[in-house]
Amino acid sequence: MDDPELTVIIGLEIHVQLATKSKLFCSCGTEYQTAAGPNENVCPTCTAQPGTKPFDMNAYAFEQALKIALALGCDKINNSVTMQRKHYFYPDSPSNYQRTSTPIAEGGSLAGVSITEVHIEEDPGRYDLKTGIVDYNRAGVPLLEIVTDPVITSPDHARKFLEELRAVLDYLGAARDVESGSMRADANLSIRGHNRVEVKNINSFHGVFSALTYETSRQRNMVKNGLEPVRETRHFDEDRDITLGLRKKESVDDYRYIPDPDVQPIAITKEQLSKISDALPELPRKKMERFKAQYGASDDEAYALCMELAMADAFERIAKKVDAKLAAGFMRGTLKKQLNFRSYDYTKVAPKEQFITGLLLMLSGKKVTDKVAERILIDLMDGKTASSSAEQYATDAGLLGVQSSSELESIIEKAIADNPKAVADFKAGNEKTLQFIAGSVMRLSRGKADPAAVQEILKKRLSK
Amino acid sequence: MELSKTLSTTNAIKSGRLTASANLQSKISRVENYDSAVKAFIETYFEDARSAAKQVDAKIAAGKPVGKLAGLVVAVKNVLAVKDKKLTCASKMLENYVSPYDAAVIEKLRAEDAIIIGSLNCDEFACGSDNTKSAFFATVNPVSFFDNSGEMSNLAASDKFVPGGSSGASASAVAAGFCDLALATDTGGSIRCPAAFCGVTGFKPTYGTVSRYGMADMAMSFEQIGPVAPDAYGCALLLSVISGKDYRDSTTAKAISTKAPDASFATASASASSSKKIRIGVPKEYFEGANPAVAKAVKDAMGRFANKSGCELVEISIPAVKFGIPAYYLLVYSEFASAMQKYDGFKYGAKPESNDELVPTVSKVRTANIGKECKRRIMLGTYITTKEHKDAWYTKALKARAYVRAQFDDALEKCDFIVGPTMPNLPWKIGEKASDPLQSYLEDVLTVPANLCGLPAGSVPCARIGKLPVGLQVIGRRGADYETVSLMAQIESSLVV
Repeated sequence: MDDPELTVIIGLEIHVQLATKSKLFCSCGTEYQTAAGPNENVCPTCTAQPGTKPFDMNAYAFEQALKIALALGCDKINNSVTMQRKHYFYPDSPSNYQRTSTPIAEGGSLAGVSITEVHIEEDPGRYDLKTGIVDYNRAGVPLLEIVTDPVITSPDHARKFLEELRAVLDYLGAARDVESGSMRADANLSIRGHNRVEVKNINSFHGVFSALTYETSRQRNMVKNGLEPVRETRHFDEDRDITLGLRKKESVDDYRYIPDPDVQPIAITKEQLSKISDALPELPRKKMERFKAQYGASDDEAYALCMELAMADAFERIAKKVDAKLAAGFMRGTLKKQLNFRSYDYTKVAPKEQFITGLLLMLSGKKVTDKVAERILIDLMDGKTASSSAEQYATDAGLLGVQSSSELESIIEKAIADNPKAVADFKAGNEKTLQFIAGSVMRLSRGKADPAAVQEILKKRLSK
Repeated sequence: MELSKTLSTTNAIKSGRLTASANLQSKISRVENYDSAVKAFIETYFEDARSAAKQVDAKIAAGKPVGKLAGLVVAVKNVLAVKDKKLTCASKMLENYVSPYDAAVIEKLRAEDAIIIGSLNCDEFACGSDNTKSAFFATVNPVSFFDNSGEMSNLAASDKFVPGGSSGASASAVAAGFCDLALATDTGGSIRCPAAFCGVTGFKPTYGTVSRYGMADMAMSFEQIGPVAPDAYGCALLLSVISGKDYRDSTTAKAISTKAPDASFATASASASSSKKIRIGVPKEYFEGANPAVAKAVKDAMGRFANKSGCELVEISIPAVKFGIPAYYLLVYSEFASAMQKYDGFKYGAKPESNDELVPTVSKVRTANIGKECKRRIMLGTYITTKEHKDAWYTKALKARAYVRAQFDDALEKCDFIVGPTMPNLPWKIGEKASDPLQSYLEDVLTVPANLCGLPAGSVPCARIGKLPVGLQVIGRRGADYETVSLMAQIESSLVV
């Protein structure tokens, strides 16, 4: 499908907030979302009042950054890092410069995407253009910027990379919840051989995919029509899922970087690195390999299970009680489908692990069908059951049991009697109507029928 | 030996012979009588000061322990944040800005029972060497119009000399008896120059010794807060209070809290191990461009001191001194332009008159509220840190700084101290040197090396030429702040006739 002439090349700059209690250069907290109002989570330092200086740097934030760099496999860790001042006039910056470090680490790769470098910086405040309100509650929260090489080849590839990055961050516990606006990205995108466009203001993992998809087709269409994309910075409009060209800048971008005289260079020692390295948890890729070897999980199952630590851990506990392959298949398939449908993380159902284990036990004991199991899961997620036991719930709701052939036959007779037109159509050669009748059987059985058996019996019965 | 003025006041208060309130009142009277001529204060805190003095008196009367600065009246340069008081930096930009917090040094003054009397004028954002660049008014050097009894004699307009800068009013206030001690800041000589010009003692600590938390920035990698006092003892006492680590200024990570002056403070044993003779380097470059009368006065004073103390004077050469001014100013411009970036008219200080597009609005409010010298520095600093010019200017200046530093470190390997004039010339009259900034910059040639190198340096008065005082500068090894002030005290006492 893809015209090699229209190959897209993408590089990402991803900003994640590091999981720390306090800001990078003062002692204000990082829970700015829960602040009582604008500028309630501030102090003289993070509002850059005249005379204030950055406090001693939040050493824990820096350690979190190192953890992430090591987990990404960065092979070049710099032994000295300097904080720099990046100057620009914009109301979101209390001092009109942002503190941003020189690269902490370089090299490394994830999901086939090589990492250029990672560095630490201060989150700016927020400026609401509509109301004119400037809020510094967020200003100074520690951010890690991860810069990739321009090697991503499609929006889908970018999504895979981000998914895996998110998993790594989740495993490390080093970043704040990545879906609540604490992850932002800028993307550079070009059609090979054509001008590069920068897309800014992408504020979620999902947004990256949407922005890149839009921008890829926009640029491809231009190139196909013999137009050259303008070298520019575009803004992602998340509400409309499109990118918009920004007004032309009046001057060239020149941030006049200088080392921040107020912050001493940060030394990174070998001892510090090996200490952090030794304490790294088993990372997603490693866990996937282990799940395949230890539990016989398929590639897809291992991937789905391991993209969220809570789910991977739950699987391992469940697999001690239930057949591992059955559990892997159910969790990757039915469970994941229902979670995705609701945009839930596994953590949302994690407290119901006992219930889910019970459900899987019933399934493996053939006490419920797949269909019924999914139905019970849906009820669980939609809060229709307060029961902590799947078996109890199934019993109370009369969902227990798989119908025997004799029970089935009488239901099938009823379904045939209820659908004379479909039966006639089938007999006239329209085989599709069989599915319609089978659906009716499933409904009558309240999902307790084994779908394979229904198909088989129905076919025999109608071919008579 | 004559007792230090600061020490005798301290003793009198602690013993109850002088109440803090009475001490304060004598200062207030002088301010009320003479500050209309000297123009040192931007704001006075008399009411707050009176109640603070009463509290100290109550403590003393009740026999409770009091702090090291009990009852001493301190005035502070108005680049230091005092909670709920104006922090103007002598700029229209911050004319009505009220600080929401106390600087670290102010907290320490309060903790040691000092009485803070008010805030002092200076050059705008500390950019200047003669205090004429305040956006409000020029402070006048009091040396030429007080008679020996401390009363003001008639002053002809033509006799108005600059007090030096940028902390001109800090030195003036001490010289005029408006306070016992003053806090000032020194980025390229801003404590030592006015101390020399006003005939008082001033000291710039080793970089990183005193927390700058609460000090408005001029050039962050150069500046320190330091004491101005009538004598070296006063400097040492105030230094012992304000020095030390502070997590709110990470450049103080290696700070050493300087000890309070003890019994051996003004004797040789304090400044070097007694087994070794103190070696004092006298760089020939410090005398080459100096006014011959100033050079002679300093050499004579050093000769007398060496005779009395037995210290060894060695002539040395530090050729890199000539790179001091260019390296210093280029880096100061760069850091200053960065520091001033925050004054955009939105958050604090002067407000824009109309809300236009962002860039023109910021530009208008800055144009209207920042003075000429500051603008010059911001524009040059912006220019030399742009991508295009950075390598030719900024990066080169960093190299020059390292070069100067290496030569000073080398000299201080061979000598315990370096001594020379503080200023190459005597104070000039207000209005002179106003047109040519370069001429003014050159006056800093002997003070900037200590800032480029982060070394402790102080100025003690060593002679008078007519009414005008001459300052002698002592530069010590990095971290040897106590030893440096101690040597200043020894020189001071050797010169008492």
